[in-house]
Amino acid sequence: MGNPVVELKNVTKVIKGKKIIDNLSFTIEEGEVFGFLGPNGAGKTTTIRMMVGLMKITSGEILICGKNVEKEFEEALMNIGGIVENPELYKFLTGYQNLMQYARMIKGVTKQKIDEVVEFVGLTDRIHDKVKTYSLGMRQRLGLAQCLLHDPKVMILDEPTNGLDPAGIREIRDHLKKLTKEKGMSVIVSSHLLSEMEMMCDRIAIIQNGKLIDIQKVHDYVAESKQKYFFEVDMENLPFLNISYKKMEKGIEIELEKDEVPDMIQLLIEKGIRIFEVKPVAKSLEDRFLEATTKEEKIHA
Amino acid sequence: MHNLIVNEWIKIFKRPGTIVMIALLILCVIGMAILTKLYNHHVHSEKIQWQQQVRQEIKQDQKQLSETPQTAANVKKDLEQKIAVNQYRLDHNIPPVKESTGWTFIEDCSHLISFAGLFTIIIAAGIVASEFGWGTVKLLLIRPIKRYKILLSKYITVVLFDLFTLAVIFVVSAVLGFALFGTGDGNNVHLSYTNGKVVEQNIFLYLIKSYLLSSIDVIMVSTMAFMISAVFRNSSLATGLSIFLLFMGGTITAIIATKYSWAKYILFANTDLTQYMDGAPLVEGMTAGFSIIMLLIYFAVFQLLAFLVFTRRDIAA
Repeated sequence: MGNPVVELKNVTKVIKGKKIIDNLSFTIEEGEVFGFLGPNGAGKTTTIRMMVGLMKITSGEILICGKNVEKEFEEALMNIGGIVENPELYKFLTGYQNLMQYARMIKGVTKQKIDEVVEFVGLTDRIHDKVKTYSLGMRQRLGLAQCLLHDPKVMILDEPTNGLDPAGIREIRDHLKKLTKEKGMSVIVSSHLLSEMEMMCDRIAIIQNGKLIDIQKVHDYVAESKQKYFFEVDMENLPFLNISYKKMEKGIEIELEKDEVPDMIQLLIEKGIRIFEVKPVAKSLEDRFLEATTKEEKIHA
Repeated sequence: MHNLIVNEWIKIFKRPGTIVMIALLILCVIGMAILTKLYNHHVHSEKIQWQQQVRQEIKQDQKQLSETPQTAANVKKDLEQKIAVNQYRLDHNIPPVKESTGWTFIEDCSHLISFAGLFTIIIAAGIVASEFGWGTVKLLLIRPIKRYKILLSKYITVVLFDLFTLAVIFVVSAVLGFALFGTGDGNNVHLSYTNGKVVEQNIFLYLIKSYLLSSIDVIMVSTMAFMISAVFRNSSLATGLSIFLLFMGGTITAIIATKYSWAKYILFANTDLTQYMDGAPLVEGMTAGFSIIMLLIYFAVFQLLAFLVFTRRDIAA
């Protein structure tokens, strides 16, 4: 991986005597999609708000492309495009007028650039309609267009898929993939939708109670050799089975390597057990995530 | 900075509410024009004997002046002024304007300035608070522009909006006034009474000056509304309190001033700078310099509060 684009160094945030973020440090590299995962109230939004300068940092520092967010605000923010939670736009303006608002605030954003961005997010047909007539998905796309105007190096998206339907979520995901691949942008996404993050991100940081619990590559997380498989079977002849399994309501769960699956099926048939369905139980990020966060809680308790 | 102000201006004028405000303002001027036209007395005959009438007025006023008790300083000043101006008319052969002309109509319309001030306050109270209300503040403040610049552009826009409403009243009343009542007989000078002397003034300059002076309280109250808006992020509070003070502040201050001399430190004791041009100040010993300094102090305090709170605030929710 390339250079660090975003660096958090011992970032702490205290609000009214309460430590919301506790000594958070991590680095985000060029061209990666970085997921920021945690239960509600873990401090995801607070961290993101400190990155974009909406909130002051109590101690520590955040560097965006080497510029300190607090001391060199303008230089640092030149490199950031962001949506913090739902993109709230001016509803009484058209999509285009909204983009013009943001274009006027940064030097060198041309009309062609605006048209290009509008086309990229697929809003060309509706861009001259008032935003109040837009669906949530369209607003989300306009929000995305808004942060692409100045070709930022980092995109920061707080809960970008909140409230979107599956098609909308997929759309956002595809856009992000395109951006990182084609333009080499880094993307920081926060979410509590784990399955989503699994599909979008290269690396994921899990935070809880304002502390960093774990950072891992998604592939390490998901790709594990042994998996659980669910066999929907006739329960009658089960007692004759002499292997370890977990009894479920309509069948059994067995932990296996992929190669062992046909053998297992054969074994079951030989034992006279009728099989209706076999499917892998994906050990999803969700399981991992819950494992990681509950472990942490146990330590605290 | 220029672009930021353009942005704010667009945000104000793309809302239907603003268009309604401007339309109401124009309707008010039209309404005043109709009323003036209906009740305009045609008193051409009096023009010939105006000298006699003015002499009569002077006599009456002098009589009243001698009967007025020493304590009513304000009334006395008013009378003295009236006498001096009338005497000047006799000496220099300037007949009083009895008929409405375009010029007097513009002057009459200056009463609409507080009404226009209402709209400026609504804009000032909303310009920061609505961004919080709409949630758009999050996208606004993550531009590579320091927060104080954004706030400053908003304040400048408020002042520009106030000047814009003044211009609307002035221009619309001028167009209507000259169309309906003509330009008068050419004797269009304003006689003002300053430091015990009567001075002739160009009527156009006089009108501009009186429009600007009348909007000092509007600007001050708008600044306060802007401050409340930036500090508390609540446009209802800012609008309510400011409009209440705009219309009641003067009265309340006057009541306090009858009993306590510290009333002179209240904002509204100082917003009316015309009190130093004609008539007595609210509290004995107040001067124009004192008032200007008080206004500057209030202004600085409002701005300091607005800017300190706005630039340091954590944007949550």
